[in-house]
Amino acid sequence: MKKVLMYTLSTCPWCMRAKKFFRERDIPFEFIDYDKADEQTQKMIREDCESHGEEIAFPFIKIGEDVVVGYNPRKYSEFLES
Amino acid sequence: MDTGKRKEQLKAMFQRVIDPLGYKYSPDTELVDFLLEQEVMLEKEKGSPFCPCQGLTGEREHDMQLVCPCIPFHREHFDAMKRCWCGLFVHKDVDDPDKLLQISRKEFEESGKKDRF
Amino acid sequence: MLPWVFAINENELADGEKKLLLLEDKTILLVRQEGNYYAMSNKCPHMGCPLSKGNLEGFIIKCPCHDWKFDVRSGEFLAAPEIKAPVYDTDISEGKVFVKMDGEL
Repeated sequence: MKKVLMYTLSTCPWCMRAKKFFRERDIPFEFIDYDKADEQTQKMIREDCESHGEEIAFPFIKIGEDVVVGYNPRKYSEFLES
Repeated sequence: MDTGKRKEQLKAMFQRVIDPLGYKYSPDTELVDFLLEQEVMLEKEKGSPFCPCQGLTGEREHDMQLVCPCIPFHREHFDAMKRCWCGLFVHKDVDDPDKLLQISRKEFEESGKKDRF
Repeated sequence: MLPWVFAINENELADGEKKLLLLEDKTILLVRQEGNYYAMSNKCPHMGCPLSKGNLEGFIIKCPCHDWKFDVRSGEFLAAPEIKAPVYDTDISEGKVFVKMDGEL
């Protein structure tokens, strides 16, 4: 199974919905809340977002090698299955 | 100040800003209520009602463009989605906000800014 | 009530400076730039912050709260001109500056 890593915000409803999507399907994932993270972790997340040409917008989800920014169940499924 | 009261104040202030831009509050009232509550908390903690779905960097120039409503600073991107990033605001003609997708900045730029979503 | 209201004497404001005034119960930002006077509402259309506490650069006033920039000549928000602060006509007569207080509210 592909590794799923999410960058999220504790204040963002779309991050909550994204987590729910994976939980409902019993797909294990790791997540880091950007707003609760220490400065060094925040910097790492910002650099990761920017290296993918994205703004610091959440949820930022890595499914294997693929990246989805935003709540997009169709893309989550597509990348999980590909 | 009481959170509920501040939520109503922010709601009224933002209404005057979004109306001339062609936006309205999302018909999803539960989402609107949740997001405004987050903004009141962010205002208490950080001094301004920042977007609850975008990340602050600590650089004033960047962060000030994330104070709600941030539509003026992301106009073409949000217009393409017919919503703002967090979905608090939608275009006035939107009746079913659940049909609107979040399109990332990169996807939007790669689409050649065409309305193909 | 007469729409033209006395604001200040001309010699009270140097060129390139701004001044907060209370006219007809409204807070007004008066700016003198390149010899002309410009009057606009002092309340930022975003969250009502006092623009008089912001920086003035040329014709652009920057709100002290969230850095929204407005052109004092039109009241327009630079990032989205649809958003405007009310502006008021000004006139100078015999060394006195007047503001026409029948602008939009």
